[in-house]
Amino acid sequence: MSEGTPGELHWLTAADAARAIAAKELSPVELVKALIERIARLDPRLNAFIRHDGAIALQAARQAEAEAMVGRLRGPLHGVPVGIKDIIDVAGLPTTCHSKILVGNIAAADAVCVQKLRGAGAIVMGKLSTHEFAIGGPSFDLPWPPARNPWNTDHHPGGSSSGSGAGVAAGLFPMALGSDTGGSVRNPASCCGIVGLKPTYGLVSRRGVFPLSFTLDHVGPMTRTVADNALMLETLAGHDPHDPGSAAVPYGHYTAALDRPVRGLRVGFVRHFHEVDLPAEPEVTAALDHVARTLQLEGMEVRDVTLPSLDEFRAINRVILQSEAWAIHEKWLQERPGDYAQLSRRQLMTGAFFTAGDYTHAARRRLEMIAEVEVVLREVDVLLCASSMDPACRIDRPADLERTYPRQARTPFNVTGHPAIAMMAGLSAGGLPLSVQFAGRYFDEATVLQVARAWERASGVDGKHPPIA
Amino acid sequence: MDKATIELLARRAGLAKALAEFPEDVAVAARQAESAVAKVRKCDDPRAEPWPPMRAGSGL
Repeated sequence: MSEGTPGELHWLTAADAARAIAAKELSPVELVKALIERIARLDPRLNAFIRHDGAIALQAARQAEAEAMVGRLRGPLHGVPVGIKDIIDVAGLPTTCHSKILVGNIAAADAVCVQKLRGAGAIVMGKLSTHEFAIGGPSFDLPWPPARNPWNTDHHPGGSSSGSGAGVAAGLFPMALGSDTGGSVRNPASCCGIVGLKPTYGLVSRRGVFPLSFTLDHVGPMTRTVADNALMLETLAGHDPHDPGSAAVPYGHYTAALDRPVRGLRVGFVRHFHEVDLPAEPEVTAALDHVARTLQLEGMEVRDVTLPSLDEFRAINRVILQSEAWAIHEKWLQERPGDYAQLSRRQLMTGAFFTAGDYTHAARRRLEMIAEVEVVLREVDVLLCASSMDPACRIDRPADLERTYPRQARTPFNVTGHPAIAMMAGLSAGGLPLSVQFAGRYFDEATVLQVARAWERASGVDGKHPPIA
Repeated sequence: MDKATIELLARRAGLAKALAEFPEDVAVAARQAESAVAKVRKCDDPRAEPWPPMRAGSGL
């Protein structure tokens, strides 16, 4: 088995790595060794990992290599490394949620999403940084430092799946798991210039994932390419009878659908999100216009559409998220408020000030907003809109973080549960990723990925990597 | 929301310790809640069902 050139292996896609391993052209051991070396070199600057155990990963790689050599492949991700956000259980490892509250909380079993990845042959590289309990923001008053953006380590990488975004973008692993309750897969994907998908609510099991908000939580794949995202989703999707939110629906064939012709697809451009509701930085607006023109050149029909305002989506998301989160964190906030970071303490205590009526009104309005989005999605096949209104700001400027973090258009699709993907739309003048978001009909991830792939193919954004070395 | 109301609601929620140690954080949390609720449009029909809270693709 050829061992490849270690210096190049870190940019291998998951699909290419899996193909090479299956063809006995690449050793999983050499791939994992190359990544361990890169992690040792770069992670002290990135803080993507809360826990990285190279010996365990190498042991799994040796097993994968032995199996591959006799033609016994576990699945489509055989020998491919993956990082796991540290709110997701990996058997035998702590699930800390990046919090002092859960230091020493050892997981008894793998989360279903981890089970599925391992069943497909993936190798777990470790547990990744997150905003504490997947809420708040980059915090310096926690047991571990916050992750940093590989495009410029003075800037934040987005969150809450911050280690997942930073690690995938920096070539520490080709794919990672994130979770998304108000945009937490898509924010780091946007800030770090990778591909992050929030699937339809109910498509991917949440069992074994520490909850933030029961009716808004999603688990999603984070990768450097759209094809890898589709490949990972094929492994993750599927009904789980033990997850009350799980949907029993047909799924799969995402990879096969990627290169279907896009000519004639109807794209609804939600301009008011970034032109009226939260006016974006000019270079973000220009990038979104460029995406729209490119899709037109690819043969798609782009028309403007109107959804409810971002302000209202955000309010509904906040009332529901923080009410549900309060039910989870009530006892700890009462007894151990000082063990939370200030940012998450403020967010989580907010739930104490809502009434039952507030929650019910928000739930009612949520159903109306879902219906309003569904009406639009009868007229178009996919939605195009902003993800972040600004490139990532500096991580050490709390006022800038407070101003820019809410300037986003991701929460609408947590409120409605529609699938949504965020990816690179270009680079800012300062060399930081700009982003675009595509959303689609329930359980029609195939079309969302197809349009994302068309943009990726036309723009070449999958070839852009951060200069960190 | 005035200070007295915030303190009353915080104590009722069992946040006496947080109120003593992090009074500004409690105040920020209360203001955030107030701001979010003010932006939620209430349904005109008092009989409108809020259920199911989330079941993608069904009954729509």
